[in-house]
Amino acid sequence: MAVTQASGNSQPSKSWELSLYELHRSPQEAITDETEIAVSPRSLHSELMCPICLDMLKNTYTTKECLHRFCQDCIITALRSGNKECPTCRKKLVSKRSLRPDPNFDALISKIYPSRDEYEAHQERVMAKLNKRHNTAALSTSIEEGLKVQALNRAQRVPPKRKQEFDLEGGELPPIDDDPAHCGDLNGDPLAPLPPGQEGLELAPPSAPLTPPLESPQEERGRLVRSHSEDLSSSQGCHSFQDQDSLQAMKRPRTSDESSSCGDVEGEIEGEGSLDMPDPSNEIELVFKPHPDEIMHSRPYMVRYLKTSALASIDHLAKYLSMRIALDLRDAGSMDSQSSSNQNEGGCGEFTIFISTYPGQFQPLTGNQTLEQVNERHWKANRPLEMYFLSKK
Amino acid sequence: MASQNLDPALAAAAARRKDKSCDSPNKKDGHSVSTRLQKELMSLMMKCSGKGISAFPEDDNIFKWIGTIEGPAESVYESLKYKLSLEFPSRYPHVAPTVKFVTPIFHPNVDNDGNICLDILKEKWSALYDVGSLLMSLQILLGEPNNDSPLNVQAAELWTNQAAYKKTVLEKYHKATSK
Repeated sequence: MAVTQASGNSQPSKSWELSLYELHRSPQEAITDETEIAVSPRSLHSELMCPICLDMLKNTYTTKECLHRFCQDCIITALRSGNKECPTCRKKLVSKRSLRPDPNFDALISKIYPSRDEYEAHQERVMAKLNKRHNTAALSTSIEEGLKVQALNRAQRVPPKRKQEFDLEGGELPPIDDDPAHCGDLNGDPLAPLPPGQEGLELAPPSAPLTPPLESPQEERGRLVRSHSEDLSSSQGCHSFQDQDSLQAMKRPRTSDESSSCGDVEGEIEGEGSLDMPDPSNEIELVFKPHPDEIMHSRPYMVRYLKTSALASIDHLAKYLSMRIALDLRDAGSMDSQSSSNQNEGGCGEFTIFISTYPGQFQPLTGNQTLEQVNERHWKANRPLEMYFLSKK
Repeated sequence: MASQNLDPALAAAAARRKDKSCDSPNKKDGHSVSTRLQKELMSLMMKCSGKGISAFPEDDNIFKWIGTIEGPAESVYESLKYKLSLEFPSRYPHVAPTVKFVTPIFHPNVDNDGNICLDILKEKWSALYDVGSLLMSLQILLGEPNNDSPLNVQAAELWTNQAAYKKTVLEKYHKATSK
């Protein structure tokens, strides 16, 4: 560390270069009362993520001068292999001594994610599975899994009274992996910064009381969720990072010693489906069906349920669809015959997207319209937008 | 004599052993490298639409991607689409990927083979860059070339004459894409 020695006077021996923000910021008041702050899963995730491996911080090391955090392994490797500077801001890092371990931050993470080991073990298994097949088709399977879960989640969204029942169904779903589960949404990116005003989306506490609460032997809050998913899904170990994300982001109107509260149950049910979404008013749900002519081609095209930004255009949708279907076909191919995954490559091309305002009538949509516009112009019904796709060849 | 002959063999064996010990962390790295690349792919698939950039692994190999960038608006490259190849070394992200233009491009900082001269791909690389930020930087580079250290001197000299420059850009592009 290049210490600027101001020799011969009593000035501090170090000159700190403060940014404009640092010079003008006023200190945050510590919260001492019951004030609650909702944090979106996405911003929480990005706070706890190592920017090098993009995973959750492990053995956090913090740079002494610029206070950026990394996993120990990641930053040590970075210093060894690259320039001697902070990967985040390029501040000089002379050696390991420019870093300090940050056990407080590790403790914070383990407080927020008490079941991290389990999450990691699960991720390890998923990765092992992916690596065994080691192709993009495998990746698409996991994306597909996430999509299915999401589709189910949405299709089964039920009034509060029946939520408990839904939870039981939810528990039998295939394991959700952290990232693939995000994938079905065109905009469900855990890392993308949210537009202003969309952070801190929160769940209202359940309005109707639930039927008898599930038994929960554990007292600790973080473990509560896990106990549900263990009860319900037996040994699948399907507890996902994301459930916890959602849980943590929930506003908690109760004190922490109420263990088997309905809020937690709801967190698990609603978590993936609603909490992860930005402002619902800017989102559009749509049902995507194969055009009747497409069905006659007898391709395994299925009905798809999507939820995406209202600002997405028909072009975006067509692009997404052709990529999705290419992946599906490829995946199906590699399942049928282990040997060839390229037999279906290029098996699908471009799609035309139609809307059917009257039964049996299909009107093609032009590419630059946004879903919002389509919804306003062609779809006045108070139910999800229905569209049809037909491959161009 | 015999011992002299023996020594290199021993040294070679030692070197091999050393290689092996280097290999095992590499294997572990390879695992985390593909993890990171998969995470990048997913976030890219979800957020890059509309920004004129995209990328996807080529074939089944997660370490080799094909990217596309669209020329920035109001530049001579506007609405032109360029394909790039990205190859990720086993020490990624600690080492920069090898990025090249596949579509021939007339640009001061790209040579005839598609090699790119950009500081963040070399000495200014940081582990925090990813495919998304890299493609975005390259997109910006299209509209704002660094004419002080050109790989293509002709392009750097022509830059001041935007009309003639654009004509050359389009000629090269159309010749390449009509094939």
